[in-house]
Amino acid sequence: MKLREYEAKNVIKEAGIPVPAGFLIRSADELTPHLDVLGDAFVLKAQVDVGGRGKAGGILMAGKTDGAKIAKDLFGRQIKGLPVKEILAEQRLDIQHEYYLSITVDRSSRQPLILFTEDGGVDIEITAKEHPEAIRKAIANPLMRDIPLFMLRELIGTAPKEIGPIINKLYRIFIEKDALLAEINPLVTTPQGVYAADAKLIVDDNALGRQGFKVNRDLTDREREAEKHGFSYVELNGTIGVIGNGAGLTMSTLDLIEFYGGKAANFLDVGGGAESERVMHAVRLVGSVPSVKVIVVNLLGGITKCDEVARGIIAADIPQKVIVRLAGTNEAEGRALLLEKGYEMLDTMDLVVKRAVEVAA
Amino acid sequence: MIYGDKKTGILVQGATGKQGEFHIGLMNSYARHVGGTGVIAGVTPGKGGKEVHGVPVYNTVKEAMRDHDIAASVIFVPAAAAADSIMEEANAGIQTIVAITEHIPVHDTMKAVAYAKMEGCTVIGPNCPGLLSPGEVKMGIMPAGLFSRGNVGVISRSGTLTYEVVDELTRAGIGQSTVIGIGGDPVIGQTFVDVLEQFKDDQQTKAVILIGEVGGNLEEEGAKSTDLPLVSYIAGISAPPDKRMGHAGAIVEGGEGDARSKIARLRKMGVPVASRPSEIPAMVRDLFQGHC
Repeated sequence: MKLREYEAKNVIKEAGIPVPAGFLIRSADELTPHLDVLGDAFVLKAQVDVGGRGKAGGILMAGKTDGAKIAKDLFGRQIKGLPVKEILAEQRLDIQHEYYLSITVDRSSRQPLILFTEDGGVDIEITAKEHPEAIRKAIANPLMRDIPLFMLRELIGTAPKEIGPIINKLYRIFIEKDALLAEINPLVTTPQGVYAADAKLIVDDNALGRQGFKVNRDLTDREREAEKHGFSYVELNGTIGVIGNGAGLTMSTLDLIEFYGGKAANFLDVGGGAESERVMHAVRLVGSVPSVKVIVVNLLGGITKCDEVARGIIAADIPQKVIVRLAGTNEAEGRALLLEKGYEMLDTMDLVVKRAVEVAA
Repeated sequence: MIYGDKKTGILVQGATGKQGEFHIGLMNSYARHVGGTGVIAGVTPGKGGKEVHGVPVYNTVKEAMRDHDIAASVIFVPAAAAADSIMEEANAGIQTIVAITEHIPVHDTMKAVAYAKMEGCTVIGPNCPGLLSPGEVKMGIMPAGLFSRGNVGVISRSGTLTYEVVDELTRAGIGQSTVIGIGGDPVIGQTFVDVLEQFKDDQQTKAVILIGEVGGNLEEEGAKSTDLPLVSYIAGISAPPDKRMGHAGAIVEGGEGDARSKIARLRKMGVPVASRPSEIPAMVRDLFQGHC
């Protein structure tokens, strides 16, 4: 789950990395007491859980006289469909140079990967493509609490020495906060010293509990509802509902829908060993999506018993057509139950998907 | 076959839990079927002295190691304690550790994998179905009925999709040497590169199927690392960016790890990539006619 900017900045400020003076406001009136500290020119940043907010009009420049008016205007806007409930009012920095710093989980080495470049601020993906040599890399040992000094020296090169300790502080945040990404872009030098002008933290969804988060804000309402039942669920925008067991098989079913010219409405993985009640909830959840015309159920029973699945589908009793492919444990019993109720069943995933695409067309 | 054979003595951690108990039963019925050793000890702290399907349960891994000749383990411990179980086994000297558990925080896995490496042990998973070498050994949760013995290795990031492919292979008369699920998490102990390294030295394996999905570039790294004949399938061509598709590791992030570019890179390396699982058997047969 991605933290909001002010949350990420609070975390790094507490760790001792300087951030610009900033105040979180929930109405335009709340800005007034902070105007003296913010000074003549400051930034108003909408705190919405969506990427690309700058281009969508979520970041505005303001001054002492027009600040309240601009804040009021921003509170009235929607950024990519999301209402603005919180704004971070932040001092503008007198920037001399911009650097880029990030720490991620490196899949190849299975260790934390630190990236630093003296060409910060601009799009890091472009730098990575055009000047890969400008990005310095280091792999840290996850069993060590700190990054060794030689590694810090190699990373910062000719950049100011104060940046070394900042990299190590961000590394400790990365470890302690269960981060998948800890990024400061840009990290800037000013006449007053080094500051994190922007910060991004993504916390591992599997560690939200121990990090004190009650809900995963990255999920939509229906995705959260699915999570309560223990389903992995992703909303898409087609007409064919998809229920499978196992992430790979369910993904592969979505791909087959595309292969045969259809559009999937969702991805729902019921997980292993699903009993009839769970299957019923899954079918009802997918059936509740207004755009769904037909549902494909593709279950390969190992631990999952086909008769349980059949009972769940029948109990769900939804208006849309449900087309089923069942294979594995107790297959004959499952098929008999569905046949009796007139459900359409096909033997392979190719056949069941092809048929669903026909029905949806 | 790789990572173990008939003689491999297996320990199960989380032996008295619902999953552990269920799968000790299945693993040992497979061991009886092939005349193998199977699961010979279980561990659940505080449950020492009990038995599960006739298998003695110990409080610690070290106690179990004192009484038995154990070379591999399968972990069914809940996510909060699973990384600790990996380290306990590595510390006790178990060579091959299969972690079935899903939802282990990535930082816990990073530490456990680094620790196991330090101890010279191999970790398979986490968030994986384990492995099965037909006619030899089953370490994990794969449904044995679908498998047949032969010369094709299978490496996969998923569970049921692997069973789908194995089912297709068996129906087409193509047997398997070892089928291994390496796990759906971003950090896993054995990647495609590591498993392909093992297959390289395995006389039985003549070709390998790589079943990948969106997220990272470990499939390409694997393909680049080996001379073995390969066939691949990548799931998630229809996966939207920045959404986790069921597996913690199945996510297209920052424009990287999407299925189309993976497939393009694999094809550029000369690896045939199937558009559907059902195309795989024919592609494997073509491979055998060409190379083997």
